[in-house]
Amino acid sequence: MALVLRTTSQIISHHARLETESAEGYATLAERHPDHRGVFKRLADENQRHKARVERAYRFGVTDAYEVGITSTQLDPGEYQLDDYADDSLEEDLATALRNEETLIRFCLDAAKTSGELLPDLPDTFEYLVKRKRKRVELLGSLT
Amino acid sequence: MVVLEEPIKGVIELKNYVDGEWVKSEASETRDVVNPATMNKIAEVPVGCREDVRAAVDAAVDAYPRWRRTTPLTRARYLMALKQLLEENFEELGRVVTMEHGKVIDEARGEVRRGIENVETATGIPSLMMGYNAEDISRGIDETLIKQPLGVFACVAPFNFPFMVPLWFMPYAVATGNTYVIKPSPWTPLSMMKLVELIDEAGFPPGVVNLVNGEADPVTEILENPAVRGVSFVGSTKVGRDVIYRTGAAHGKRVQAQCGAKNFLVVTPDADLELTVSSLMSSFFGNTGQRCLAGANLVFVGDDHAFMDKTLGVIKERAAALKLGYGLEEGVQMGPLQAEPRKRRVVGYIETGLEEGAELTMDGREYSCDPYPETCFLGPSIFEGVALDMAIAREEIFGPVMSVLTAETLDDAVEMVNSSSYGNAASIFTRDGGTARRFQYDVECGNIGVNIGTAAPMAFFPFSGMKDSFFGDLHGQGSDAVDFFTENKVVIQRWP
Repeated sequence: MALVLRTTSQIISHHARLETESAEGYATLAERHPDHRGVFKRLADENQRHKARVERAYRFGVTDAYEVGITSTQLDPGEYQLDDYADDSLEEDLATALRNEETLIRFCLDAAKTSGELLPDLPDTFEYLVKRKRKRVELLGSLT
Repeated sequence: MVVLEEPIKGVIELKNYVDGEWVKSEASETRDVVNPATMNKIAEVPVGCREDVRAAVDAAVDAYPRWRRTTPLTRARYLMALKQLLEENFEELGRVVTMEHGKVIDEARGEVRRGIENVETATGIPSLMMGYNAEDISRGIDETLIKQPLGVFACVAPFNFPFMVPLWFMPYAVATGNTYVIKPSPWTPLSMMKLVELIDEAGFPPGVVNLVNGEADPVTEILENPAVRGVSFVGSTKVGRDVIYRTGAAHGKRVQAQCGAKNFLVVTPDADLELTVSSLMSSFFGNTGQRCLAGANLVFVGDDHAFMDKTLGVIKERAAALKLGYGLEEGVQMGPLQAEPRKRRVVGYIETGLEEGAELTMDGREYSCDPYPETCFLGPSIFEGVALDMAIAREEIFGPVMSVLTAETLDDAVEMVNSSSYGNAASIFTRDGGTARRFQYDVECGNIGVNIGTAAPMAFFPFSGMKDSFFGDLHGQGSDAVDFFTENKVVIQRWP
């Protein structure tokens, strides 16, 4: 049976995996493209903060009363996978980074919709991350 | 399939915590603690004896005078240290609850959060236990009310919220200056062991909090020991009313016994379908139906059969898709019942419902829990065509069983709710404010939900309950807890 994300715990874990993978990708780019090392390191650090922000919202908001375990909308994790960075040019790496940011934005938007049913505090957090990630897209665009 | 790492390895031999030390029970007999999802043995718990409780009470009596003199602010700081440790161990505590009880990890984390919430609330004790005064009640005479602790208190905890329920009581008891004895359920004693390890690490003075494991004999000693000033209990009505309340009261103790339930969830045709269904799913089937706030009877008001059919259709569709399994597997939405006898009891009620003529439109006995042993697993069941005089509509089942009833009018629905001997919780789903107000005004239940399926009070409100759902005067949590654990002393003074 294909894996689906149907519980809050799964959504939080999948988000954490995406942010961690994204941070690792930017760490690679920081090594590979010294001219933009500062930007890539900052983006990687921000990934970790985004991960921590969602985990905190969950941990501080979860209760014994709300619908934490049962959702009507299930997410397919296969639709939210990040691309690897090929050992290639800055232009190619930035294109991959932009695709990955868009994937994370899409995940956060879908998670905001789904998690509203599960845990009232989570959608605001995911929506905040979408705002931050759109600024990252602008920043990456300015590097090209 | 992602299965979270189990924090309990091997088989733990449980001890008591008395006077700041982990000690073996005087009783040699033990029983097994089993993970109900995997059926693996995870601990051995002593059956306990009266001597164990006497030792714990003696330690608590000895610690009381010093702890009472410790300032409320300092006592609150011990609780703040505990709160910090609870946060640091949040994930481990949740996983321990899943392992001993079977509930899914989201539910277990929610339980831990509510427990921490009570510790947080009790840290406000310097304000919460303030008295009041009136100047010049007569010329030159002032009157003051002081809230004082009483001595040693104890709790007898249930299996269904093994971590959270003792924290409805203990933080307030020790914050107000009392000392304490916890007696966890022998079915689920591990999260309390972990809590007490953290209490020890937080540096609470020896004897302030004690832990005694066991079954009936330790409870008898708690109820009869003259040094115990009050007892908090959560569990069945039979034990709460016939044993805890009566015996405790006969021995001059304060008692708060929060007991069984048969909760009605009433749906009017104007209700928001999506919100209602989500809430109903969680209320009836969350925690595998093993909570005193769980939905039991679903009542549709009026003759809008299309709305009822549509609502039930969505519920059945979602219930059929629920994934059963081990709660540490992240995608699992419903865990097992806590033990095989509990499953047997629920299955017995399903058979009773069929004998009574109700229509079983969803049969929880047919669910798969592969690859886990079936011993304790049971899926959601739905009975339609239920009459109010059937046992499945009147008696507490304590499992994932929904009984569907109909009422012609709101008044009829309220009458149905009030005909129950229980009065723990009731909810209404409606968009009409007047309907909601009439419901909350007329219904004889302690916890009311309006478009809320599980009306669980926050730590800073009392966890209410009426009729056969509660015996005593003051409930757990919030200001009721502060009052339960303190005596009001009035001082009238004149200085010539």
